[in-house]
Amino acid sequence: MITAASAASARAQSKPLPAAPVSIARCASYDEDQVAVLGKMFDQLGGLDRLVRNKTVTIKLNLTGSPALKFQGKPLGVTHYSHPKMIGAVAHLLGRAGARRIRFVESAWGTAGPLEEYMLDSGWNVRALQSAAPKVEFENTNALGTGKQYSTFKVAGGYIFPAYKLNRAYEDTDVFMSMAKMKDHATCGVTLAMKNIFGITPASIYGDDAGEQEPNESPTKGRVNTCHFGKRQPARLAPSERDPASSREPGHRMPRITAELTAARPIDICLIDGVETVSGGEGPWIRGLKYIRPGVIIAGTNPVSTDVVATAVMGYDPRAPRGVTPFKDCDNTFLLAEGLGVGAADLSRIEVRGVAIAEAMYRFAG
Amino acid sequence: MLLAILLIAGVADWAPARWASSDPRTLELLAGTPINCLLLEPAHWSPAFSEEAGRRSIATLGVVRPGQETAALAEKAKTARLAGLVLEGDFPPALLSTLADSKVLVIELPSRTRMKFDAPITGTTQAVWPGINPQEDGAAKAAPSGAPWIDTNSGFLRFVRAMARGPVWIGYRPPPRTVVPLARYFQAIGDAALAGARWIVSLDQDLERRLLARDEAALADWRRIAAHLGYFDNKDWAAFGPYGHMALVQDVESGALFSGGILDMIGVKHTPVRPVPIRRLSDQEMKSVQMAVDVDPTLLSPDQKDTLRRFTRAGGTLLTGPPGWRFPRQREDQITLDKEDVEKIDQIWKEVNSLTGRRNLGARLFHVASMLSDLRATADGKRLLLHLVNYSDFPVEGVTVHFLGRFTKATVYEPGVAPRSTAPYEIEDGVGVEIDKVGVYATLVLE
Repeated sequence: MITAASAASARAQSKPLPAAPVSIARCASYDEDQVAVLGKMFDQLGGLDRLVRNKTVTIKLNLTGSPALKFQGKPLGVTHYSHPKMIGAVAHLLGRAGARRIRFVESAWGTAGPLEEYMLDSGWNVRALQSAAPKVEFENTNALGTGKQYSTFKVAGGYIFPAYKLNRAYEDTDVFMSMAKMKDHATCGVTLAMKNIFGITPASIYGDDAGEQEPNESPTKGRVNTCHFGKRQPARLAPSERDPASSREPGHRMPRITAELTAARPIDICLIDGVETVSGGEGPWIRGLKYIRPGVIIAGTNPVSTDVVATAVMGYDPRAPRGVTPFKDCDNTFLLAEGLGVGAADLSRIEVRGVAIAEAMYRFAG
Repeated sequence: MLLAILLIAGVADWAPARWASSDPRTLELLAGTPINCLLLEPAHWSPAFSEEAGRRSIATLGVVRPGQETAALAEKAKTARLAGLVLEGDFPPALLSTLADSKVLVIELPSRTRMKFDAPITGTTQAVWPGINPQEDGAAKAAPSGAPWIDTNSGFLRFVRAMARGPVWIGYRPPPRTVVPLARYFQAIGDAALAGARWIVSLDQDLERRLLARDEAALADWRRIAAHLGYFDNKDWAAFGPYGHMALVQDVESGALFSGGILDMIGVKHTPVRPVPIRRLSDQEMKSVQMAVDVDPTLLSPDQKDTLRRFTRAGGTLLTGPPGWRFPRQREDQITLDKEDVEKIDQIWKEVNSLTGRRNLGARLFHVASMLSDLRATADGKRLLLHLVNYSDFPVEGVTVHFLGRFTKATVYEPGVAPRSTAPYEIEDGVGVEIDKVGVYATLVLE
């Protein structure tokens, strides 16, 4: 059995793991000038122009769970969803930096309907988002969507699946961005740029009501049985698990799936929204949730570097082993990602720009 | 009898409330409110009170329940100069017939299964307290799935509204020994009004006591309750009737008197649906209907079956209940479905849901999971009205409605706020309208 630590160590011996600078900014409220705050952060990372000019940028949002489920009646964007004002600001900045096409994506919970309607159901002003930049598009990647076929993303040296079948939007892009909410997570410890990528898996193939042979293009359920518990295999269109005899425990499976998805579909830009959020879990269905205002935004170009810094800002040790908060009931996704060569989960190798970790720190477990 | 007939003429405008005092001075508390009809327990029947109420154009009704000396109370009601009696509960038919022959106006609020649709006022006291109630573990829901369930009487009341000759009242009281949050009163008023019915305003004991003692905070709450009560009495809205391109063909024998039944299941998805009682089923009723659900085809007469045949031949989509399944007989003490029956009608619900999909059957609403709505139209279809009632204790920001058809003007109404215009924008099959924030109620009128 390959452990996270041994995989990391094996990898580390062969080639240095990548690391990239991470920018931290304070932002007390979504009413602050998001364009100014984010613009400065991207400048600290070398500027958006060089990353996106004349390119298609696909942005995976964090819209976890049904929009009907709110925490304490608050708008979804201040608890467990990406915030629409920040999304609008990102679209504006990308447009200003010369992006050729901006495509917002998410595998919307329990539906294959248009993402625009899911956003409307979340209380967002879709027309404002559409007009935030030229050529803004939306794609619900929970099924085939507007594409004609699914794309294959192979995992080199992965843990659970040898490859994933995903909506074509994840292939048909030059730049891939993960726009996540800063949260704790029940089965991965933390929800950050990497965990957000779990949502790229289509329920049509990996869902609880996916067809055994063919995808179900009208999924209505989540992906718990296939992914979290491994009670079933994905629709036959996608490769089955490497080892059906491996652990079925979500704390074993989900960090591995998250790590290998990040390896299979690399993230080019990470943006983590910790302005207002929740602690104690990823959504209102988790008991003990608490609304908090860390007032921080984190951005980077390497997902492991960015998440490791964000985890430290949350007051956790990013290299904590299983059994230690936040990885109390799960393996450490970052160490697993190290094993796949995605990045170095080593704070000493990551240059932090903007606000220092100690100044930005907000202890989620506090 | 003459008095009774005269009273009946004004009954349609009665806005009822329970009142726990016989002190004529307490009537001052009703000044400036829409309440013009008081339901009094026998301990509060008094000629002086009734006379003062009469001077203020307020009708007084005496409440009688089974087990009380009804005949004696009827006499006492005359002495107390009450306008009539409200019989709460199920009374022997012989007694009802005796009272019907008397000069006393009688309003019956029996169990749901005994309601009389041809009465001057049709009503019941059997109801659920409207609102989003937490699950047993105190959480709103335990999975990242569907919307919170809204306890509502509105589906049942919409059927009753379609059946009843006169006004529809629903007369439930706050749970005993419970202090009801103000928002829950607004929800109770709106829950009935959505269906064109009236909730008999009934305050919890604490608020009632403080109000009668003229406690400042209670007076402020009372004024807000009154403002919300008057909200739905907008005379300009009287011209609007039920609207939507889906019909639910149902009747008393097929579950129409349950709360949490099929009408409510469709209602939480905000699919504009019109209840069509089986006894009213006709080509005229099905005009403009695109999709119909016939809950129990075995209840239809040959003529009624022909009506639905013509409907499908003309291109309408018809969905029927599961073969061989019939709605359970409703017990007199029953207002919600048993668990097994909920599972059975869930099949119908899933089919309805998959058939409707993203179809616009009059209006599609977004970001309204904590709300219920009612779509109405003028007879010529040139104006639409959409009522929204929010059952959560929090305002909802960013509601969007996609209306079928072309409209150029939209006005948003809210309690206590001046109506404001908003510009509809074009969408594929109609127009879209955005509402910034919905507190407890909002109404959109499109022209």
